[in-house]
Amino acid sequence: MQGVAIIGAGQTRYGDFPDLGVKELFAQAYFEMLRSVDRGLDPGMIQAAYIGCLSAGGGFQLGQLAPLLMGHVGLPGVNAVRVENACASGGYALFNAACAVASGKFDLVLAAGVEKMRDVSSSKGRYWLGVSGDTEYERLAGSTFAGIYALMAARYMHQYGLKREHLSMVAVKNHRHAVNNPKAQFRREITIDQALKGAPVAYPFNVWDCSPTSDGAAAVLLCSAKMAANFTDRPVYLRGFGAASDYLAIHDRDSITGLAATRKAAAEAYRQAGVSPREIDFAEVHDCFTIAEILAYADLGFCEEGRAHHLLEEGVTQLGGRLPVNVSGGLKAKGHPIGATGCGMACEIFRQLRGEASEPSRQVKNARLALSHNVGGSGGTAAVFIYQGGGQ
Amino acid sequence: MGAHISIPMYRRTVPQRYRLAGQRCTACGRVNFPPKAVCRYCRTGTGFDSVRLSGRGTVYSYTVIAGGGAPPEFSEEARCKGSYPVVLVELEEGPRIIAQLVDPPEEGITVGMKVEAVFRRIYEEEGVIRYGFKFRPV
Amino acid sequence: MAKSVVSYGSYIPFLRIRREEYISALGSCGADIKEKAVMDIDEDTVTMAVEAASDALAGVDPARVGVLALASANFPYGEKFIAGTLVEALGLSGSVLTSHHGGSALAGSEAFLAALGLLDQTDREYALVIVSDAPQASPSSGLDHGFGAAACAFVLARDGSGLEFEGACSRAGEFMGLRYRTAGETGVRDIGVGAYSSMAYNETVSASLSGILEKMGRIPGHYRCLVMPQADVRADTALAKKMGFGEDQTRDGLVYNLVGDAGCCTPFLGLCRALESAGTGEKILVCTYGAGSGSHSMSFCLNGPLPASPRPVGSLLEKKRQIGYIHYLKLKRII
Ligand SMILES: [Zn+2]
Repeated sequence: MQGVAIIGAGQTRYGDFPDLGVKELFAQAYFEMLRSVDRGLDPGMIQAAYIGCLSAGGGFQLGQLAPLLMGHVGLPGVNAVRVENACASGGYALFNAACAVASGKFDLVLAAGVEKMRDVSSSKGRYWLGVSGDTEYERLAGSTFAGIYALMAARYMHQYGLKREHLSMVAVKNHRHAVNNPKAQFRREITIDQALKGAPVAYPFNVWDCSPTSDGAAAVLLCSAKMAANFTDRPVYLRGFGAASDYLAIHDRDSITGLAATRKAAAEAYRQAGVSPREIDFAEVHDCFTIAEILAYADLGFCEEGRAHHLLEEGVTQLGGRLPVNVSGGLKAKGHPIGATGCGMACEIFRQLRGEASEPSRQVKNARLALSHNVGGSGGTAAVFIYQGGGQ
Repeated sequence: MGAHISIPMYRRTVPQRYRLAGQRCTACGRVNFPPKAVCRYCRTGTGFDSVRLSGRGTVYSYTVIAGGGAPPEFSEEARCKGSYPVVLVELEEGPRIIAQLVDPPEEGITVGMKVEAVFRRIYEEEGVIRYGFKFRPV
Repeated sequence: MAKSVVSYGSYIPFLRIRREEYISALGSCGADIKEKAVMDIDEDTVTMAVEAASDALAGVDPARVGVLALASANFPYGEKFIAGTLVEALGLSGSVLTSHHGGSALAGSEAFLAALGLLDQTDREYALVIVSDAPQASPSSGLDHGFGAAACAFVLARDGSGLEFEGACSRAGEFMGLRYRTAGETGVRDIGVGAYSSMAYNETVSASLSGILEKMGRIPGHYRCLVMPQADVRADTALAKKMGFGEDQTRDGLVYNLVGDAGCCTPFLGLCRALESAGTGEKILVCTYGAGSGSHSMSFCLNGPLPASPRPVGSLLEKKRQIGYIHYLKLKRII
């Protein structure tokens, strides 16, 4: 296996872009990625592209999206494929790209993701958002995507004494983090009072517990470690990457107070990287709903199961804490354009580890090791990555 | 908007939806519901006997879907009820299953609450009524 | 031994609306009810049928059921083979003989009588009769005020101890304009001519009732209980009295004031309620009436103990939640 490095990364802002389609969004992220390659890159050198997209929000291009997008940016001949694992589509694009480089088959591979979710009515949006779970049983129970995570939250509250306030603490923290992130969809703080009093969505969740629907795209360029020096002196190494699945339906899982897919993917990523959770300096985790971030703390080894809310109480995971989580704002405030999310996390980490956070106030200081975590649906799939920077 | 779940697809699961038809693994004896090709418990058994579940169980977890957020197929029900509970039930034969809860107690739903399966309309699409199980407090 | 009911079950929806809700919303209530049962948004006559039949089948092997007779004037489909849903939901044999009855409030007794006959056409020992109804009328018409919902089911055995069927008498005649609905309409209408309506009822029902007494060679005093049709309890009471039945004989089978007019199901729900207090050897008359007009009277004798229903009518009457008139209109898909 050869080492894998990230040599460039770019993303659009996440949010509402009624005048931009998937092609335009993808192109924006792609060109920003190209500009970020320190010594420049001849795009013709890119050998393969893995592009994450659920085509939710209305099914624009369900077949052969990847060649469409690559053709749009002048690379019609590149081996390109769409990757779909719901909300983890971007993470799996990155995972597949990393495997392709690690295998030695390719040296320069694009991992990208794009989603256009804001073009459809809210009722059609809800219709589409339900397609990534177990449609035959979860959906027919009248449940929504939020409803499935809500079942996990209610069980966690019952089992571990999690309070409604803890859920809101995640929302407040991530909104605060997003304030200075120019790529974030929501750049405003919310108070704990606001976060507690949002309109109900699915008990125990209110609107502030839920990530938004977003338009957006992200692109990351992976390079074999041996060739990385041709393009930059400051690559970010992908030291470990793991991905795993679980039963798609919540009722088939042994435990619902954690995601087995995350645990398995994390174990593999840590093993490959040869690092322990304690060594991670900051993390971008999948907080599609506030409970998801809380579950991730234990699943990623940051604490023991059932102890996650204590990290929030102690401020461990806020910017300035011992292990800042979601300094970008997370899915909650940065936004969640499904297919783009996993690559957008890598983009944030690439910049942070190179000391290039857009605002000094949101730069994680002295970070060397970072982790990203991307979940498909309610945990049917998960991908975990461990990054190492060369110092800032 | 077309049907979310096609009628032939729905019909294929009628034994499960109408009368909780599960399968008992001939290798390990445990009960799978919904049915699997390979036993969910021993992960090797592929032979099964058909077994009808009692429908009795306890609430393992629950949520209440707010009216505005319900899937479009359920919007009529949501409009009428304002919101509706969805429960994850641990059936007495072992498997867990997700479904709506009808006639929720006024004092609120609790984890561990005893429930039984009932036969109800799930939703109507293309003028076709989709029947299936829900749960009700005992 | 003769053909007998060997088990039964009943179902009343959980939701109720009180007479006072009508009065506060509309100024008056056109029905002589205290409260009535209302189906929830996810209920219909098929789901109620499954509820009642599941209880009736509690101690019965479904594979031994050879006949399925269904009755409702308000099946959820105007055209569709409904028994298939019940066969799957109840786990009955696919080779069961089926029979559907609708069209009027006489459907219940028609199904019951048909099942008795069909039992002779099967080798299996049981027939299942399910009577489930929820009459509908526009809430703007007074007819709606009394319309409730309920279901009951009976397992009949060719030979068995329980409620033995002794005989039936029928009356049929032409009285158009009373409780009718043209094809495609969802609610019933009535020309609302009181004297005409009374005449139709009295002529039809008294003919079937006096017919059964004559056929059985009995007088009203031989019966522990008379269950009347209960679409118009005042008319029922007057007629029963006129024919020589006392209030103590009609009381046990009364369900209308708490359930409403559950169409073809009401007299059978009344029978279930009466069975809860009847003793071995006692006789029960059940009388049905379908406007338009027809009536059946059926004579039964309790020749042995019946298994108690898992949910007695008494407990179903107590298990309830009251709703307001706005909620009621939502359930009727008006708003
Ligand atoms: Zn097994």
